[in-house]
Amino acid sequence: MAKKILIIDDEPDMVTFLSTLLEDSGYDIVTASDGDEGLMKIKSEKPDLVSLDLLMPNKTGIKMFRELRKDPEITSIPVVMVTGFATDDTPNMDFKKWIHERSIRPPEAYIEKPVDKDALLKEVKRILGQ
Amino acid sequence: MLKNAVNFVKKFTRSLSFKLSFYAGLVMFLALLAFSYHTISSQEAGLIKKMIQDSIKDSEVIKAAIWNGMMKKERGVIRQIINAIGKTEGFKEINIYDDKGFLHYTTSQSSAALPIDMSNDPFLSDLRVNTSNRHKLSGDGHILTVLNPLINTQSCSSAACHAHPESEKILGAVELKIGLDTIRREISQNSYKTVIFATALFVVVCTISGAAVLLFVNPSIKNLQRKAFKMARGEYVPRAPTIGKDEIAELGRAFDSMSVQINQHTAEIESSRRMYKALFEEVPCYLTVIDRDFKIIRSNRSFKAEFGDNVGQHCFKGYKNRTSKCNNCPVEKTFYDGVSHQSEETWNINGHKCHVIVKTSPIFDEKGSVIQVLEMAMDVTLLKRLQFRIQQKQEEYQYLFENVPCYLTVVDSDFKIVRANNLFTRDFGFGEGLRCFEVYKKAGHKCDNCPVEKTFHDGQSHFSEEVWRKNGEDTYIIVYTSPVMDDKGEIISVMEMSTNITEIKMLQGELAVLGETIAGMSHSIKNILAGLQGGVYVLDSGLSRGRDDRIKAGWAMVKNNVEKISDLVKGILYASKQREPEYKNYELSNLLVEVCDLFEAKARDEGVELIRNFEKEICTCLIDPGGIHSALSNLVSNAIHACRSEDSETAHQVVVSGRLENGGLVIEVSDNGIGMSEEVSQNLFTKFFSTKGSHGTGLGLVITRKVIREHGGSIRVESEFGRGSKFIVEIPCRETST
Repeated sequence: MAKKILIIDDEPDMVTFLSTLLEDSGYDIVTASDGDEGLMKIKSEKPDLVSLDLLMPNKTGIKMFRELRKDPEITSIPVVMVTGFATDDTPNMDFKKWIHERSIRPPEAYIEKPVDKDALLKEVKRILGQ
Repeated sequence: MLKNAVNFVKKFTRSLSFKLSFYAGLVMFLALLAFSYHTISSQEAGLIKKMIQDSIKDSEVIKAAIWNGMMKKERGVIRQIINAIGKTEGFKEINIYDDKGFLHYTTSQSSAALPIDMSNDPFLSDLRVNTSNRHKLSGDGHILTVLNPLINTQSCSSAACHAHPESEKILGAVELKIGLDTIRREISQNSYKTVIFATALFVVVCTISGAAVLLFVNPSIKNLQRKAFKMARGEYVPRAPTIGKDEIAELGRAFDSMSVQINQHTAEIESSRRMYKALFEEVPCYLTVIDRDFKIIRSNRSFKAEFGDNVGQHCFKGYKNRTSKCNNCPVEKTFYDGVSHQSEETWNINGHKCHVIVKTSPIFDEKGSVIQVLEMAMDVTLLKRLQFRIQQKQEEYQYLFENVPCYLTVVDSDFKIVRANNLFTRDFGFGEGLRCFEVYKKAGHKCDNCPVEKTFHDGQSHFSEEVWRKNGEDTYIIVYTSPVMDDKGEIISVMEMSTNITEIKMLQGELAVLGETIAGMSHSIKNILAGLQGGVYVLDSGLSRGRDDRIKAGWAMVKNNVEKISDLVKGILYASKQREPEYKNYELSNLLVEVCDLFEAKARDEGVELIRNFEKEICTCLIDPGGIHSALSNLVSNAIHACRSEDSETAHQVVVSGRLENGGLVIEVSDNGIGMSEEVSQNLFTKFFSTKGSHGTGLGLVITRKVIREHGGSIRVESEFGRGSKFIVEIPCRETST
């Protein structure tokens, strides 16, 4: 049975691109355009993996990620964090470090925009153990 | 010869040794005489007294003999005894009187018949009544007469022979006359001996003391005398210490020490005299001493070299070749009041016009009246010339200081402005007495990193860049400081030069913006490229799988990102002045409505309430609607973004307000979003920032500011981190023109 991936991103272009890419690679795709909808879909769809955009309206990616990790029901779901920030350019916004300083488990993978197709697929496969 | 002798005697009698020995001998001589006189006198008295006692005893013996003879009626025996005694050495006479003063018996050789009436003798006058022994001295003290009365006894009155009646108390008297020649001779002999001895003693004492003085005192005194004469000639220098312990040696030593001191003082006086002489002669000004007749009585070398040896001439003649005294003569004044005077004069020396300072000082005599005046004249022509040149330079510097095209102030260590140049006075008002930070920055305390303070501390020049807020606009200033030192090299004040570098700063800022814009732009382009890549992938996937929905979606993505590129290019054109503003008469409220309409949907999507806080009609004026539209769009977009980025659950609002104030447009865009740190708000307009990642081009505020400045307006921000921001745009409302 095909693994289910939830794509959470406020940019429709990104959603289209990621869902096309992952669908073509044989995954079932569910999408959400903000944090609240994302949390709802996680609970209703029970995806095997979540691709989460960092900056979004109605709960930013970080805020949503924190809630996901705090909820014992869904805390085990692996997360690929998709970020538009190049951490080298904006060292003040080093959110990876910020997340690691918190007491919650960090995301399973980080993918930076622009998304490298092969790198994303490789990470997804690794996380899902394929 | 005689004269010589008289002189010698005179000299001798005046000599100390003569006086000392003579008076010592004389005192000794007189003392001895007085002592001898006293001794001899008392000796004489003693001898006479003894003689009297002996005589009384003898008279008692005679009385006894008389009594015996009377009683035995042997008058011959009486005569024998008396004669025997009378022949003893010294006895002159023995007389016996009856009670009536008749001499009945005598040992004297006179042959007169006895009895002889002697009652007239005053010595015998009280014969009948006086029962006591008595004596007298007569014949110049050479004869002692002793009278011993014969007292009636019972045997006499009761004897059978004849009756001496009992009533008679005194029957007669025995008188003894004794020669004192022997005693007198002895005494006078003693006196002679004493005088001889005293004279001899006088001579001996005189000789010995005279010799002692000659031997012990005279040489030392002569020596001292010699030294004193030498000292008076200025030749004496004590070589060996004076030996001895007596007073003369002490005197010698005192003299030596005195001479040493005198020599020393003399040397000092001499050297200072030489020094003053040299000073007088060599001092580089004209010195003359002038008497009450205004005649030169002394002059120094400088004077002689310049004016010739004019001693004896009148000063006005000597100095100025005048025939009468000058008006306003300082010498005259000094003679009059006894204090220094000074005058400045122009003289003709060797055909040159010279500036001379003349100073006079009084010279007093011992009574304190002015007898002469010292006149000192100094040629200060060169000094005057230098003074003039300094004044010229000073004026030049003054001109430079006043007219240099930057703000120039001189500040003291208390930061108070001591001097300011024209430009400063024009732009800030005259700030003297105020502190620099009060004037430049309207601040109540000194600035951090103050270059004035640093210069006071290390004496080096410093500079700093400052931002002055003037009329709401930031003015960038570069401040240079330099120390102003006094002649001892101590920093007394600091010169502060401030140059307006706003234009340069703006260019610099734009350059920085350009650099950062390129960085930001490449970021945006990267995002757009990613979108394009995604679109192309989706389009490819749709084409290869024959899925129309994907073809549509992919194509839409491509189109969307191409549009983004177009926006970006427009932004760049705005920022790089490529776009010329197009001014039109436009109602501001219409513009605000348009912007709000544009963001209404987005704000709703983000959960932000967009509040329109303006009247339907504000003002119609000449603006570039396109430019203002994009500027305001930027501000509103930023405000909504700031609300979106804020974590808390508060209801977010963006308020857009517009009004006419003091003839200008005031537009405010405020939010209660995340706000900005001070660092961010300070650098907002000078540095390029984007906090929006892939969503921002980083050009928004640069374009906004550019547009507002083109309108002659200004933009500022009030912001507090966590509380929200307020952007205030002020644009002058320009008159409608055709």
